Amino acid sequence: MAHVVLQDLVKSYGGFKAVNHVSLTVNDGEFVALVGPSGCGKTTTLNLVAGLTPITSGDIIIGERVVNDLDPKDRDIAMVFQNYALYPQKSVYKNLAFPLQMRKLPKDEIDKKVKEAARVLDMTHLLERKPRELSGGQQQRVALGRALVRDPAVFLMDEPLSNLDAKLRVQMRSEIKRFHQDLKATIIYVTHDQLEAVTMADKMAVMNGGYLQQYDSPAQVFAHPVNMFVASFIGSPAMSLIPLQASTANGNTVLTGAEGWRLELSPRNAQKVARATTKKVVLGARHSTIKLHKNALPGSVPAKAYTVEPTGDVTFVQAFLSGAVVNVSVPPNIAVAPDEQIWLEFDQERMHLFDGETEMALKAN
Amino acid sequence: MTIVTGKAEARRKLQPGRSGALRKIWAHRADYAYVLPAIAVMLIVIAYPIYYTVELSFFKTPPGLQLRDKTFIGFDNYTTILTSQVFWKVTWNTLIWTLGSTFISFVLGFATALALHRDFIGRGVLRAILIIPWVISAVAASYIWKWIYHSDFGIIGAVLVGLGLADQPPNFIDNVSTVLPSLIVVNIWREFPFAMIMMMAGLQTVPDQLLRAAKVDGANAWQRFWHVTFPHLRNVSVVTMLLLAVANFNSFIIPWIMTGGGPSNASHIWITHIYELAFGRQRWGVASAYSVLLFLTLMTLGYFYVRALSGNERKEGSA
Amino acid sequence: MSTIAETAPRAQTRRRMRVDGWRWAGRIFLVFMLLYTALPMIWMLITSIKSGFAATQFPPQWWPDEPTLASYQKLLDPQNSVGQDFLRFFWNSLFVSTVTTILSVIVAVPAAYAFSRFSFPGRNFLFFAVLLRNMFPAVIFLVPLFILMRAIGLINTHGSLILTYLTFGLPLAIWLLKGFYDNIPVQLEQAARIDGATRFQAFIMIVMPLSTPGIIATAIYSFIGAWNEYIYAYTFLSKNEQLTLPVGIQRFFSENTTDFPGLMAASFMMSVPVVVLFLVLQRYFVRALTEGAVKH
Ligand SMILES: Nc1ncnc2c1ncn2[C@@H]1O[C@H](COP(=O)(O)OP(=O)(O)OP(=O)(O)O)[C@@H](O)[C@H]1O
Ligand SMILES: [Mg+2]
Repeated sequence: MAHVVLQDLVKSYGGFKAVNHVSLTVNDGEFVALVGPSGCGKTTTLNLVAGLTPITSGDIIIGERVVNDLDPKDRDIAMVFQNYALYPQKSVYKNLAFPLQMRKLPKDEIDKKVKEAARVLDMTHLLERKPRELSGGQQQRVALGRALVRDPAVFLMDEPLSNLDAKLRVQMRSEIKRFHQDLKATIIYVTHDQLEAVTMADKMAVMNGGYLQQYDSPAQVFAHPVNMFVASFIGSPAMSLIPLQASTANGNTVLTGAEGWRLELSPRNAQKVARATTKKVVLGARHSTIKLHKNALPGSVPAKAYTVEPTGDVTFVQAFLSGAVVNVSVPPNIAVAPDEQIWLEFDQERMHLFDGETEMALKAN
Repeated sequence: MTIVTGKAEARRKLQPGRSGALRKIWAHRADYAYVLPAIAVMLIVIAYPIYYTVELSFFKTPPGLQLRDKTFIGFDNYTTILTSQVFWKVTWNTLIWTLGSTFISFVLGFATALALHRDFIGRGVLRAILIIPWVISAVAASYIWKWIYHSDFGIIGAVLVGLGLADQPPNFIDNVSTVLPSLIVVNIWREFPFAMIMMMAGLQTVPDQLLRAAKVDGANAWQRFWHVTFPHLRNVSVVTMLLLAVANFNSFIIPWIMTGGGPSNASHIWITHIYELAFGRQRWGVASAYSVLLFLTLMTLGYFYVRALSGNERKEGSA
Repeated sequence: MSTIAETAPRAQTRRRMRVDGWRWAGRIFLVFMLLYTALPMIWMLITSIKSGFAATQFPPQWWPDEPTLASYQKLLDPQNSVGQDFLRFFWNSLFVSTVTTILSVIVAVPAAYAFSRFSFPGRNFLFFAVLLRNMFPAVIFLVPLFILMRAIGLINTHGSLILTYLTFGLPLAIWLLKGFYDNIPVQLEQAARIDGATRFQAFIMIVMPLSTPGIIATAIYSFIGAWNEYIYAYTFLSKNEQLTLPVGIQRFFSENTTDFPGLMAASFMMSVPVVVLFLVLQRYFVRALTEGAVKH
């Protein structure tokens, strides 16, 4: 096992930077999820670490070595691909044996390791099949097996579960998690399914447009998003972001909505707003931190319900507020009709405030 | 075999001070190693001859290949050609030959592919038999058909006489009015299988779902063909026809062996005519000028060819 | 209600009749094409087992009174001068075609792979330049190539033919193979490289086996093209002992114009190798065409 360090990593295609000055450290035995929207450079980053794509500038360190100019085969890594990339002409056995053959292991040792991996992944009975004779889940398992027979320093996985159906995905998710815990393996795992990231990863690296946005534990990323992108990207349904106008009169800081309503801030939140570079402030709130009232209570603001989506456990209400859509969850026993007048109350302790210009989270001090 | 193990792609530190294009070429220099052999062969066998042909077309050349004694005469060779009677005769023949062979071969090939698309017993055998004429050499084909058309012992003549359709065996290839169609029949015999293979391959790519959807929508067999199958095969059809047209435009063996261009130039097409000018009458300059004209015509066709192909061409990123 | 019940069956019979109509048209058409294709070849075979006398009868003998293999024996007899020539032509053709085929594959495979996988400047231009070779008739290159070959001393050698034939096969070969490589996911090679292969090993061990049908198709195409080529062989070779089959047969029978059984027997034997080769491997060819050329 080994740690992985990316230092100021850049990859450009022509003038376009697919990976933009990314630096992060993956500690030995850590499971890091790389998340972000499609095209943000996740696969490119992984390919850079693997050595499949030459880097433009920066450094990659695996273990104690700078591996910038090493071939993939010399980096002591294994990789699992989104479409599995099993060798179609080889049987499962030969697929698993291939990495060992390439390392010139003796035949009996290869046989032992392949059989062991097959046993661990419960596919001994599949060894003679060709990949096309396997189900998606079985293929996935072979791909995983091919990565683990070799006992590499680092595992790289590029959306390994995205081609599976929902049920299988949940099952494989726990298998990979187990596999991580048993092996204490260092894993970099690309996904655009944040649920996967949250449930499996020790740390989460959120990327957008080639830039690393935030790198922290899932709980931290969820609780303290550093900017509006991370805030809106992590969490489902997405955090509501409401653009407002800040003003201070006789010691009280007040946010004003486009409709003219005013929301007085707690001293701590007022402190945050004071640090903003402009009067434009964006209020962020997750659906569970907003209370819905049928009448005007102090501290609540008026809104109009737009859609109502009962899901069984909770009912999601979408409302318009200051030109933004706000997601609120209410218990199923509260009936809300579309177009009904409602009042929303934000939890001052759990609300997020962002600078309207820089889109960065505002901090108290 | 010149395959390079591609390590060079990892070497990203370039010498500074190179211009953008050169720098890019330098960065990809390992990639060129893969295509170099192909390009080198092509250069020797194509680029040089093209240059040489163009040069020669402006010279008067003595017979024999003593080309050191050639004299520059500007566009004279071209005027000689364009004002000659034979040129127009031969051009007309070429047009009929090319269009006739291409069109009929394509239609027959496409129809055969459609008829063979449905599975039935013996389909594989039938398909194999139908492809054979395309595989055997045009020289063999020419001799077979020359024998079939033979004015004394030819089988077609004998059948016609036997059926009472003719008093004596007709002379197919020694007759100015029948020679060209007779040769086209031979050419189609050799060529329709190519169209058939191409269209069969194309038919395999027509999505079944679309056809089923059309069936559900109430389209009959003809409507399904016309609205689903045919549009889907548009690209393949264009490429096939262009390939056929180019092959026909360039064909030589069948007319050369069966008639040598005769009788009285009735079956001369451009290529046989050029060949005769060059190697028969040793008029290298005129033959070269002819070749240049041919070349320009083909470039025009080539433009459409490339356009049809690049319609199919899928853009792919680098590894 | 009742009207529907009445019209429904009628509509159905009409539809079945129409479908049958198409099917019958298809069958009749196929029979016609089969006759068109096969009769000339059958007539070639029948003629080849006639005696010279039997072949020149009017009306023709549909089936020879005395079938004989004399023509074949003569062509294949190494003692007799005709047989010597024929067998020599045959070996010449085999040699030239085989070498051409091997070289074609060796040159086309890396080129097609590069065109499919790499994006180097000028890639599209080079690709189409290679394809454009298809556009040019042999005759355009004949005079200059003749002079070129003479200058580099290849006239009257098989080398001149092999070099020239290479360029015929290459464009289609590269095009077909590129289509194949386009359809092989890059991830397979990436996986192999991570599993410990060099780029070259990944190519040889993973990509090559997957593109075997394309390579076979390319090889057949080159072989048939070289085997059947006439015009360059006719121009570049003048020594009898070097001629390839098409030219050799033509030279021989322009001197013996009335030996039709011999000519037909020679045509038949000249066709056998390529026909057998093609029939054995044709499924690769159709598949290669579907994957490589059509399915873009
Ligand atoms: N070979 C290439 N040439 C040019 N641009 C490329 C190349 N490969 C990737 N890109 C670009 O780099 C950006 C990042 O691509 P990448 O594949 O890393 O995205 P991703 O985050 O993995 O997305 P997804 O979730 O869709 O897989 C994209 O905009 C893509 O178009
Ligand atoms: Mg990706």
